[in-house]
Amino acid sequence: MKHDPLTLHGAQEAEVRVPTRRALAKQQTRAKVLAAARRLFSEEGYEGATIRDIAAAAGMSTGAVFANFTDKSDLFREIMLTDMASLAEVMREAAHRGRAVDDCLLKAFSAGYAFYKSQLPLARAAFSISWSPDQGPELRSMAPVLALHDLITEQLLAGIERGELSQEAEVKLRTQMLFDCYLANYPEAIFLGWSIDALQAKAKDQIRVILAGARRG
Amino acid sequence: MSVRQSQKEATRKRVLDAARDLFETRGYEETTVREIARVAEVSVGSVFTTFSSKGDILSQVMADRLDALYAELDRVVPHLRGSTADRLRSMFAIHYAFETRRTKLFLAHIAAAYDWTLEPSSRPFGRNPHLKQVVKDCLADGVTRGDVDPSTDLDIAVDTLMASYAWTYRLAAWNESDAETMSAVFDKHIGLICQGFHPR
Repeated sequence: MKHDPLTLHGAQEAEVRVPTRRALAKQQTRAKVLAAARRLFSEEGYEGATIRDIAAAAGMSTGAVFANFTDKSDLFREIMLTDMASLAEVMREAAHRGRAVDDCLLKAFSAGYAFYKSQLPLARAAFSISWSPDQGPELRSMAPVLALHDLITEQLLAGIERGELSQEAEVKLRTQMLFDCYLANYPEAIFLGWSIDALQAKAKDQIRVILAGARRG
Repeated sequence: MSVRQSQKEATRKRVLDAARDLFETRGYEETTVREIARVAEVSVGSVFTTFSSKGDILSQVMADRLDALYAELDRVVPHLRGSTADRLRSMFAIHYAFETRRTKLFLAHIAAAYDWTLEPSSRPFGRNPHLKQVVKDCLADGVTRGDVDPSTDLDIAVDTLMASYAWTYRLAAWNESDAETMSAVFDKHIGLICQGFHPR
C-alpha cells in the first residue's frame, strides 16, 4: 500500500489535516488545564494544589496534564507569563495618561493594584514562590517583569527630559526602589484588605519620598 | 510549675530545636512534621498539642531568634553616632548580618508571610512592629538633631525603608549574596531616602 502513489497522496493530505485537529485539541486541553490550575492555585495556594487535583478539576488524567506541562512549576509559570504580559500592558497604558513623573508612576501602580485586586490569592501564591531559590530567579527574569522595570525607568527618564528631575537622578537605583515599594504594598491588600484608594494613597507618599531627593531646585 | 507544664515546656523546646535545624539543613518545604517529631524524639500527636501547624512552628522558631536579634539591637542603638543615615545603615547591617547566619531559615520565614494556613497569632515576616518602632525612633531623633526635616511623615519614611529592606533579601534568595553585599546595596537605598527628607 505504501508504494501506491495514489494512496500516498491521500495520506499526505490527511497528514495536513490531522495535525491541525490534533493541535487544536491540544490547545483546548492546555486551556482547560490552565483554567483549572488557576482556580486551584487561587484556592489552595501553590503548595496546596497538586497535579492530581488539577487534573481532576480539568476532567482529565494526570497523564494528560503531564503530556502538556512538564510539572507544576511549568503550569504556574505559564499562568504568570500570560497575566504579567497583560499587567505590563495595562500599566503602560495607565502611565501614558499621566502628566508629571509622579503622576505617571502613580497611575501605573494604581492600574497594577486594580488588575490584581480581583485575584489576590494568585498574587499571594506568586509572592510566596518568588522567594524560592529555584523558581524566584525564573519569575524575576520573565520578559513581562523586565518590561515593568523598563516602564518605571522610562517614566524617570521622561521626568529628567522634562526637567522635573535632576540629571543626577540615579535612575537605576530609583527604578529598583520604586518597584520594591510597588510590590511591598501587596501584603496590605492581601492580608489587611486595603482598598485601591488606600493603596494608591500609600503609593503616592512613597513615590514622593523616593523622588524627593531628585527634585530640581 | 506543675510536672505536666514542665513536660510540655520541654517538648516545646525539643520540637523548636529540631525544627530549626531541619528547616535550615533541608529547607522548610522539604521538612515534614513527622520528621520534626522523630528528631525531637516526641510523638507527632504531642507536636500538635503544642503547635497548630508547621507554619506555626516556623513562626515560633523565628520569634525566639528575633527576640535575640532585638536584644542585640537595643543594646547597640544607644551607642550609635553620626548622621541619621549612618545610624540607619548600622541598624540594618546588624539585621543582615544576623539573618544571613541562617539564610534558608530566614527565607522560609519571608515566604511563609504568604502562607495560607497561618494562625492569626503567628508573627510572619513584616508583621513584627519592633523594628519599625526602632527605625521610627531613630528618625524622630534625627528631627531633634536637625538632619531630618520636621515636616517629614515619619511613618511613610519608615514604610519606604522597610519595603527596600525586605526586598533587598531577593539578593540572598536569588544570587546567594552575603550580608555585606546586601548591606552595601541597602546603604545606597538609605542614602537616597535620607536625601529626600534632609532639611533644605
